[in-house]
Amino acid sequence: MLSEMIKEEFIQLNLEVADWEEAIRRSAEPLLYGGKITAEYIEKIIETSQTLGPYIVVTKHVALPHAPAQFGALDLAMGITTLKTPVKSGNKANDPVKYLFCMSAKDSETHLESMAELVNLLSDHYFYQILDTAQSPMDILEYIIEKE
Amino acid sequence: MHKALVACRAGVGSSLMLKIKTEQVIKENGFPIQVEHASLDAVPGFDGDLLITLADVAKELESQGLKQTIIGINNIVDKNEIQSKLAGFLNS
Repeated sequence: MLSEMIKEEFIQLNLEVADWEEAIRRSAEPLLYGGKITAEYIEKIIETSQTLGPYIVVTKHVALPHAPAQFGALDLAMGITTLKTPVKSGNKANDPVKYLFCMSAKDSETHLESMAELVNLLSDHYFYQILDTAQSPMDILEYIIEKE
Repeated sequence: MHKALVACRAGVGSSLMLKIKTEQVIKENGFPIQVEHASLDAVPGFDGDLLITLADVAKELESQGLKQTIIGINNIVDKNEIQSKLAGFLNS
């Protein structure tokens, strides 16, 4: 279940960042401190988004920073970061990015159900209202659990 | 029946979500397409006729002279975009 990938301390609300790179970096920090990814994993995401474009921007205002498992994904996890001021990623169809779901997965099978839940949430207008109005990380986590 | 590969760079995140959404669209519309899912590493060995990926990855694949039709999706939760692009492929 998606709620098992996301810990309360992986959720950060209304962060202020200067640009796209800082947004990715900060969105990954809770997973780094939580032992779910290595520092190399973050560098790989940034390097790839600089050389190959903003491929992690998946729908309007939403990025899913992640890299292949061999670059330092230690354990299955997901963080949620909302930005106070959205930033441009260079993905014309979906800019600016306001919500970042940094994720780490060691394979493509064990979290299939969780990703299906995330797809549903990203299709749910009310979920974005929760992201915008949440007073605490638990407000978001409770909504995710309620929807499972 | 067409065979499609949904691919992204890592094969664990965006492409998985795209596969889930694409399968929903295929089921709802009864499209004759079978979907597999992998990272871009699997593209050279793929023997089907359709590649589905995110728009900016599609641009890169288009420059590689692959035999498959390439569909690039901008918004992975937009069923209308996926549906119209798959329909375009089936009608071509």
